[in-house]
Amino acid sequence: MKEVILDCFGEACPIPLVKAQNKIKELEIGDILIVQIDHSCAMKNVPDWAREDGHNVEVEEIDDGEWEVIIEKVK
Amino acid sequence: MAREKTVEHYDVIIIGGGPAGLTAAIYAGRARLKTILIEKALIGGLATYTNEVENYPGFPDSPKGEDITNLMKAQAQKMGVKIKLTDVKSVDLVGEEKKVETFRNTFVGKTVVITTGGRPRITKAENEENYLFDKGISFCATCDAAANTDKTVVVIGSGDAAIEEGMFLTKFAKKVIVSVLHHEGKMDCNEIAKEAALKNPKMEFIWNSAVKRFEGEGHLDTVVLRNIKTDEEIPVKCDNCFEFIGYLPNTEIFKEQIKMTGAGYILTNEKMETNIEGVFAAGDVRDKWLKQVATAVGDGAIAGFAAEKYIAESEAFHDVILQKDKPGLTFIYNAVAAESIDFLLEIEKIENHFEGSIIVNRVDIYKSSGIADRLNVGEFPAVVLTVDGMVKERYIGHLDSVKIIENLEKICDTCH
Repeated sequence: MKEVILDCFGEACPIPLVKAQNKIKELEIGDILIVQIDHSCAMKNVPDWAREDGHNVEVEEIDDGEWEVIIEKVK
Repeated sequence: MAREKTVEHYDVIIIGGGPAGLTAAIYAGRARLKTILIEKALIGGLATYTNEVENYPGFPDSPKGEDITNLMKAQAQKMGVKIKLTDVKSVDLVGEEKKVETFRNTFVGKTVVITTGGRPRITKAENEENYLFDKGISFCATCDAAANTDKTVVVIGSGDAAIEEGMFLTKFAKKVIVSVLHHEGKMDCNEIAKEAALKNPKMEFIWNSAVKRFEGEGHLDTVVLRNIKTDEEIPVKCDNCFEFIGYLPNTEIFKEQIKMTGAGYILTNEKMETNIEGVFAAGDVRDKWLKQVATAVGDGAIAGFAAEKYIAESEAFHDVILQKDKPGLTFIYNAVAAESIDFLLEIEKIENHFEGSIIVNRVDIYKSSGIADRLNVGEFPAVVLTVDGMVKERYIGHLDSVKIIENLEKICDTCH
């Protein structure tokens, strides 16, 4: 089980979402993808997509206006 | 193999980040309690689905719901509340250590405040699941109105939310067709909204109707309504459909533990206490009459305050009533009952008799029955003897000071 960090700081929608969707395909079940974002729209569409896909999701505000979306691949 | 979870301890764990949860967080944080608020999606709850909040006192300019809840969030964070955005998977609420599980953590709390609110109800018409959210069926005009500029939309429902959000949609859409279950002229919303809606030239009404099915290639393009009196089908071409037919409480994970109504709303008393000690519920999730931001805030304040009182009482119970230094005598009485007051003098005699070799506590149940409940005492006056923090003897009802002294002497003999 590994953790992969995807740096999407400074990137606007939908780039973080597309990158996250591509990256998770490379991961194994149980792996964790951490998507780092600072655009508030990605703060909604990245977790929404991951939840809808059935993964475990947690969003952490690491600084003012910077978030980490932590996704555990479950299927 | 499951990943190892990090365990964190808190005084107060709040589940749900709408106005009720945020207010409970502000009160708990201000009482210097270590507080965490867990929200599954975005802070603000259903209030963020409302574009104009006109009846929340103190905000005369009709702000967006989100603007108000963002201020509440900032206020909670200023009080030192930690906010975690993730889903609660399960809870174990019975006992003094309450456990709340997320996928990466186990949170252990002295108290839990449930403010999980509700979610939109759906029509359960044919094919509905194929078009939910981004495929044509929305529950949030605020979120999706702008995307419907110059389009035709169907609104299902005639309550306050349906009509007010429908009117908001007319600022963008070219036509808003409202399906109303009742006969012509009857709606569930307030009279002011109804009058304005009937006058709005962009609004059309289809009376006596309900949704039969949804149709479209990939994306919704037709809502097929049904006249509930004649059963005749009424296909309505549209670009999107908005459903505003009420909410369902988010209480699935609390079933089997917390007492609820048949519809799943949590039962509380006026102190927001549920059937489990140390577990409170506030806001839309509880069974109550009026669900508004203003009433959620009131509930949240009570729940935050009640959690603080509960923790203070727990500490008093463990540190004072169940002290381990000396044999203890706790007199539980009702200060407005003559029998109780008479025995207070006897208690003083017992205390003097033992000259400081026992610790005597007097608990007046007039303010709170919490300590009596913890000692399993339901009638007053009562005397409870403790040794090493354990209950040794209970005397309830007709108290006999001679017998109590005899028993205490035996206890004292064995501990010296």
